[in-house]
Amino acid sequence: MSAQALINESALGRNRRVKQLGKLGLWLNPVLAYFFLWAPILVLVLFSFNQSKSVASFTGFTLKWYSNILNNIVGAESAFSTEIMLNAFRNSLFVGTIATAIATVLGTMIALAMARGSFPGKRLLDGLLFLPVVIPEITQAISLAIFFKVAFDWIHLLSGERVFPGFHTIIMAHVTFNISYVAIVARARLADMDPTLEEAARDLGANPWQTFCRVTFPLILPGVIAGALLAFTLSLDDFVITFFTSGVGTTTLPVFVYGLLKLTVTPEVNAISTIMMLLSTLLIGISLALQGRSASRS
Amino acid sequence: MSSFDVELIDIVKDFESGGSRLRAVDHINVQIADGEFFALLGPSGCGKTTTLRLIAGFEQPTAGRVLIRGRAMEGIPAYHRPVNTVFQDYALFPHLTVEQNIMFGLQMEGLEKKEAQKRALESLEQVRLPGVGRRRPHQLSGGQQQRVALARALVKQPAVLLLDEPLGALDLKLRKNMQVELKALQRDVGITFVYVTHDQEEAITMADRIAVMNNGEMLQVGSPKEIYERPGTRFVADFIGETNFVDGTLLERDEEGFGTVKLMNDAVIRAQLSDTLASTGGPVLVAIRPERISICRADAGPAGPGTTSLAARLVDSQYIGTDTRFTLQIGETIELVARVQNIDDLPKAAFPVGQAVTANWSETSTTILDH
Repeated sequence: MSAQALINESALGRNRRVKQLGKLGLWLNPVLAYFFLWAPILVLVLFSFNQSKSVASFTGFTLKWYSNILNNIVGAESAFSTEIMLNAFRNSLFVGTIATAIATVLGTMIALAMARGSFPGKRLLDGLLFLPVVIPEITQAISLAIFFKVAFDWIHLLSGERVFPGFHTIIMAHVTFNISYVAIVARARLADMDPTLEEAARDLGANPWQTFCRVTFPLILPGVIAGALLAFTLSLDDFVITFFTSGVGTTTLPVFVYGLLKLTVTPEVNAISTIMMLLSTLLIGISLALQGRSASRS
Repeated sequence: MSSFDVELIDIVKDFESGGSRLRAVDHINVQIADGEFFALLGPSGCGKTTTLRLIAGFEQPTAGRVLIRGRAMEGIPAYHRPVNTVFQDYALFPHLTVEQNIMFGLQMEGLEKKEAQKRALESLEQVRLPGVGRRRPHQLSGGQQQRVALARALVKQPAVLLLDEPLGALDLKLRKNMQVELKALQRDVGITFVYVTHDQEEAITMADRIAVMNNGEMLQVGSPKEIYERPGTRFVADFIGETNFVDGTLLERDEEGFGTVKLMNDAVIRAQLSDTLASTGGPVLVAIRPERISICRADAGPAGPGTTSLAARLVDSQYIGTDTRFTLQIGETIELVARVQNIDDLPKAAFPVGQAVTANWSETSTTILDH
């Protein structure tokens, strides 16, 4: 009887230890995972405040590199030039804004067609919508570069006009990959929306256009904005596709940063990268908040 | 000009999905009069909601015609039809306030905002829900949302109001209250109501006429009393209220609308023929409502003319509050349920289980149906 009780007690003790170990593991796992995710970025942020130009050692705190970006430093002593950087940033905003606007309109229209329409091949097209999200970026970049080359050759052949890559090619390329993201986010919002609401609007005398303007669009708007912000962020950050489709004088910020790295790693690069990261995080944060809000509302 | 608000002429509706065809509505013909409270009653999947959606214009019939106030509705979209719908889950616009929800339909008509606002307020008072105009639908209870949905549809003053199980989501007590209120409201406004429900009690208490549907067919149309007391088919008799079915053989039909049936235990009884009875002889069903059967002591003496009396044995008795349910055995094969109201302690006390009794019912409260 007492031997039995002893065995049970030791088994209980073992159980308790296993449980404690499990708890520790559950706590340790995310810590390590997040460290793995964020450590390189932390290093980058840290060295953007480093006094020394070299990344070999941290010699002291400074805001010099940030002030260098803001003050008009012309690249005599360093490879960095504020004027060129600001120009690249303007290019990025220009490309991002136009590409996002076009992609948002087209993406929302596709989402509507996929959610409400019925036509042959819909399921296949629905699947293809995810393609730009999953295919390697380099593949898409090269395919776009070749596509533009062939298209421009044809234009030259047919009209005699010579067309060169430039902002139009970058914008078209960005629209291409952004459509999918907008469509996927807007589509999720549409799927959440009760289709009887549209029937109710029609029942109350709203024609299809009025139904869209007064009911469907206001209800999916958070999803559309979230998709647009996501697209804008991707556009701002994109390097590979932009690099392959850009022309002369169309350097965007990521391409500019890459150019700086080719010469030498300057601390200003760290500072710019940190600012870009903060901007992207902010935009994605707003996008997620909008998606979360729309999900919790319905 | 026809005096019917809604006419459905030989309506067929097929749905196609993945190559297979499903007939949701099968050759329906019905005329609904101006100001009528008309219920479409049937189990889920019987085609009642599809019928409503055909009137609303959300679906187009595969064949047949929908007429509203005598006007053919072919090619007329939902937003141009003089009908409004109260949806099952209300379908209130979540991004608009209660007032904006009600004003929506008026503004679509081009009504000025001020006038629309005034009408919305009146409408909220009509459904006895004043003072919630500024709130959002999700801030209201289910019952309140139901009233807003009603106000939003009624404010348009439609020729016909279509209601798709509007009380389905409410709890029992609230549902009972709303039944009374809806009926009173319908009398007040005088608008034709087409009301879809699967709740037979709801249909019987509220409707002027009921159409019982099953498998896309309209089996019987009539007043609640006709439907209940003169069911045309086994399905109708079974779906509405509780019914005893007894197999028998029709021996003869007479001129007065009665027939003679030999039951399985060789007893021969007389009962009313259903209006749609096709059989002229052979196997039939006799439907007897439990509350129409009265129980007497076996030695009570002969019953009067026009009454069927059969010797029975009490097999079981069950107290269910308002009534007591007795199970009676007649001969070897027939089992009947009788319901006796518990007006006093008498029925249960007087008839212990196992006792020999006589079951009586009037010939006019029994119906002969096709097998």
